[in-house]
Amino acid sequence: QAFPLPSLPRRQPTVLVVCGPAQNGAIGLVCARHLRIFDYEPTIFYPKRSPDPLYRDFTTQCEKMDIPFLSYLPTEVQLINDAYNAVVDAVLGAEAEAGEGKEPCATILATLKHVRIPIVSLDVPSGWDVEAGSSGGISPDVLVSLSAPKQCARRFLGRQHFVAGRFLPYDMQKKFELNPPEYPGTECVVALRAPR
Amino acid sequence: SPGCRSPGVPSPLPRQEEAQAIDQELFTEYKFSVDQLMELAGLSCATAIAKAYPPSSFTTSQPAVLVVCGPGNNGGDGLVCARHLKMFGYQPTVYYPKRPSKPLFEGLTTQCQKMDIPFLSEFPAEAALIDELYGLVVDAIFGFSFKGAVREPFGSILSTLERITVPIASIDIPSGWDVEKGKADGLQPDMLISLTAPKKAAVHFAGRYHFLGGRFVPPALQEKYALNLPPYPETDCVLQLT
Repeated sequence: QAFPLPSLPRRQPTVLVVCGPAQNGAIGLVCARHLRIFDYEPTIFYPKRSPDPLYRDFTTQCEKMDIPFLSYLPTEVQLINDAYNAVVDAVLGAEAEAGEGKEPCATILATLKHVRIPIVSLDVPSGWDVEAGSSGGISPDVLVSLSAPKQCARRFLGRQHFVAGRFLPYDMQKKFELNPPEYPGTECVVALRAPR
Repeated sequence: SPGCRSPGVPSPLPRQEEAQAIDQELFTEYKFSVDQLMELAGLSCATAIAKAYPPSSFTTSQPAVLVVCGPGNNGGDGLVCARHLKMFGYQPTVYYPKRPSKPLFEGLTTQCQKMDIPFLSEFPAEAALIDELYGLVVDAIFGFSFKGAVREPFGSILSTLERITVPIASIDIPSGWDVEKGKADGLQPDMLISLTAPKKAAVHFAGRYHFLGGRFVPPALQEKYALNLPPYPETDCVLQLT
């Protein structure tokens, strides 16, 4: 929705999906597969693969769909800017605490901080503190909050903020006082008003 | 003439064995789990229903839908569909007489129950009662693996459903139909949601709405089985064929 195919600047609808070692990365794998079904050309960078059988199956599904897996992420940022229309940041999610400091995430995030193409972060901009937000971390263009926005979303300054949480049962929404917005039609995401 | 097909309508090819082969390949080669594909299939069904029968179109006071779930995977698709219908603002009720004791189906049942979707303890005795209480019936009884005779209670259920006047939306194959030849004196649903690709029986479908769902078939598999599926619109998980 944020980057429809006809709107992409490059001739090929390429998207780089950077996947971390845990659940956020696994969600990135699923995202990449659906991007492929939507006729984008995703490429995945997944340096530290989870041993979880479910996540290994997600990897197989992507491989069998001919989605290329990079063996390294260029540190030369211009190479990324030139090759892709956007980057999906599926490196670290709300569960990560000290993850930011560990490799390979630290180097990945250092590179992503300097890309000039739009970044779409899944749930939490990687490297941000889940409550306080970031100082000097990555600045995504688009944030997709999963289930409900996290505290740090208040500090999100990018163009579009989506919530993907239509699967939450009503009693859970009440219990956690989530007050979700209304989803249009049968859509599974809703765009929140852009931050001012 | 037999050789002509409307442009954009996929050749309804897969025979039962081919449809099963595609499924097998998705599970064994691509390592999809049944959960994954069932969730996407059920979501497609709910989405197609929402497009063809929006809540505002119901003449009952609430958009009440009866979802009849059979003993296998088609029933599982129905459970997922019921849950998404609830989230789309419908009031589904489920009838699920034969429940496999497998974690997959037990989980799907729990998810529905926890979302306050009622499960009937008995099937409405008469067609007229169904017509009065519900604006739509979802037929999730038998799918493309169905073969042979219809066992009870489903024989009686299908007889009743054949007499209702509210529309029926069938998941993948109208229940009771031969998967290739159809059934002239059987269920005549108003909507068919073909999953993955339309099956041979779809040529006999005479209802108003034919949707394609299950937007998960990898391009390589579509080519291998010559599915000739027309493109889905944008990011939609369903495609309206008629």
